[in-house]
Amino acid sequence: MFNKILIANRGEIALRILRACRSLGVGAVVAYSEADRESLAAQIADEAICIGPADAKHSYLSAPALISAAIVTGCDAIHPGYGFLSEDEGFADVVRAHGLAFIGPSAEVLERFASKEATRRLMTANGLTTIPGSTMLRDEDHAIEEAERIGYPVLIKPSAGGGGKGMRLVRNARELESTFKVSRSEAKAGFGDDSLYLEKFLEENRHIEIQVAVDRFGNAVHLFERDCSVQRRHQKIIEETPSPALSDAARRDLAEKALKAVSAAGYENLGTLEFLVDGKGDAYFIEINCRIQVEHPITEMCTGIDMVALQIKIAAGEPLGFTQADVVSTGHAIEFRILAEDPAKDFRPQSGQVWAYLTPGGPGVRMDSHLYPGYEIPSYYDSLLGKLCVWAPDRAQAIARGDAALRELLVDGITTNIELHRAILANQVFIDGKVTTSLLDRVGSAPFVAAGNR
Amino acid sequence: MPARGKSSNPGPDSEDALTVKRDHEAIANLADDLLPALIAKLASSGLGEIEVRQGGWKARLRMPAGGEESRKNAAKVADGHAGHGHPTGRGAAVHTRAEERERHPFPEDEVVDEPGRIAAKSPAVGVYQPRKDLAVGMRVRSGERIGQVNVLGVNQDVVSPVDGMIGSSLAESGEAVEYGQELVRIELPERPAGGDAARTAGEPAGAAGKA
Repeated sequence: MFNKILIANRGEIALRILRACRSLGVGAVVAYSEADRESLAAQIADEAICIGPADAKHSYLSAPALISAAIVTGCDAIHPGYGFLSEDEGFADVVRAHGLAFIGPSAEVLERFASKEATRRLMTANGLTTIPGSTMLRDEDHAIEEAERIGYPVLIKPSAGGGGKGMRLVRNARELESTFKVSRSEAKAGFGDDSLYLEKFLEENRHIEIQVAVDRFGNAVHLFERDCSVQRRHQKIIEETPSPALSDAARRDLAEKALKAVSAAGYENLGTLEFLVDGKGDAYFIEINCRIQVEHPITEMCTGIDMVALQIKIAAGEPLGFTQADVVSTGHAIEFRILAEDPAKDFRPQSGQVWAYLTPGGPGVRMDSHLYPGYEIPSYYDSLLGKLCVWAPDRAQAIARGDAALRELLVDGITTNIELHRAILANQVFIDGKVTTSLLDRVGSAPFVAAGNR
Repeated sequence: MPARGKSSNPGPDSEDALTVKRDHEAIANLADDLLPALIAKLASSGLGEIEVRQGGWKARLRMPAGGEESRKNAAKVADGHAGHGHPTGRGAAVHTRAEERERHPFPEDEVVDEPGRIAAKSPAVGVYQPRKDLAVGMRVRSGERIGQVNVLGVNQDVVSPVDGMIGSSLAESGEAVEYGQELVRIELPERPAGGDAARTAGEPAGAAGKA
């Protein structure tokens, strides 16, 4: 096991990693930027070190600053959390070159899964279905030919793009013809590369992901799925497990297929395979996340496994210590991302000082947050204030507990999306477990909030 | 800030909630009206510090010395194992609102160092090495290199932020330092007229002992 770990992240996940270190009896040093001097993780850590200015480029994204901090504080490993450098194979490589362990997959594994395109090919070869798509498009005629083969509607996607940037939806050949040239010049202007390809557009889909854990000895388990279909502009807002859209047999089947593919592809450590599941229940693999996910607590609540501790153990070269048969998912868990955003003002991020902060309690309630009364929320980073998670024996009770907990949660001084969560919980579509990823964007959040206030 | 007056979520009791509301109003008033006026006054006065009282509130402004944001807990990694702990009065969720009012009406107040205190700071996390010929009383120019911080084999310069004289050392040669850590005190030969220049001159050099 490691002697001391540098926590190279901020906010709630820095705190979460600190807690895992303490429960493992491993030392921890919180690396913080100047803007995070007063952060809870830096305040309660036994050791904390300022690594740079507020601008993440010179602090949380600076490999030299983080590695130097790890070395001068006597750490032997770095935990990157999520975001920032967590999936950067270059960083993982440099960390290792300095004799430190990177808590995550090895640089080779990260590199193998770095390109989304290559990962899809790799996973297809290992038995997963991906969204039907074209090869790189030569010209308009080729595009129309490919679109007809795939079936409309299709998305025109720039090869060099990402995160939905530069994508265009076309529903027939006429639209494709009129959009093709524009997309090509936009891609050239936006990414310096005008390569385009087509992908089938799934109208009503759910986002379901499978959590896996693989040690260095080839022992591999899945920790079932999480359903992250409640999204706004591709950002997850509410996650739950099990998915209300899958039967028990279907969820087991998807998890087993995912695990088989990922172990055959030589994956290592924690990983999440993301799928889009259409109305017919067909699951299409989209990508793999090679890190701890924001929404990991709901899996922890249902399986009883401390996933951050598990991640650290695997990186330290320890075996899993349990098998698939030992992994039991019990009850139902829901996570609400508490964000400093104003739903009434187009979700504009909020900053300022938290005056009062009261966390809910009761059975099955967990709050992972770095807030405290008097905390000044820096404006440099993301708007995640914390994650309220609830567990109950079944979904209906979990929804009821979620609502009770959201009513209790008080974050005074900052506008948050707490009321939006309550409105979603009260909405019949959510209660029926029928939310699809585009729902919030299509209807907007106002009707939800309005209905919730009635 | 609509969340503030939320009826579904009263504080521990209604009186407390009222107090919170009053506090918020006072703070809004401080931030919008009082502070800009005070800052202008302070800048034009040449004073190092001013304090005003209004209602149950007290606001104190101090002039930062080097023009840069100054900092506390400078010697955090000084002993090589970075003891951070709970800086007095800056604890996380532990202090009450009453203490909060008493101690720091607004947080900026506490971060500001004593007037006249200027230090060369570390540009990065790494190992500090002062310039070999560095000596107390030596004159340095603004931007002049007075040492280096070694970051993974690459040296980054520690420079004097002002024209002045080398004062006490706040970090040892070969010591692990963090970003922004004060390394060497820089004394100004003379202070502009007015204000409380005497305070700077009288500053003890014994502070080196804490490094």
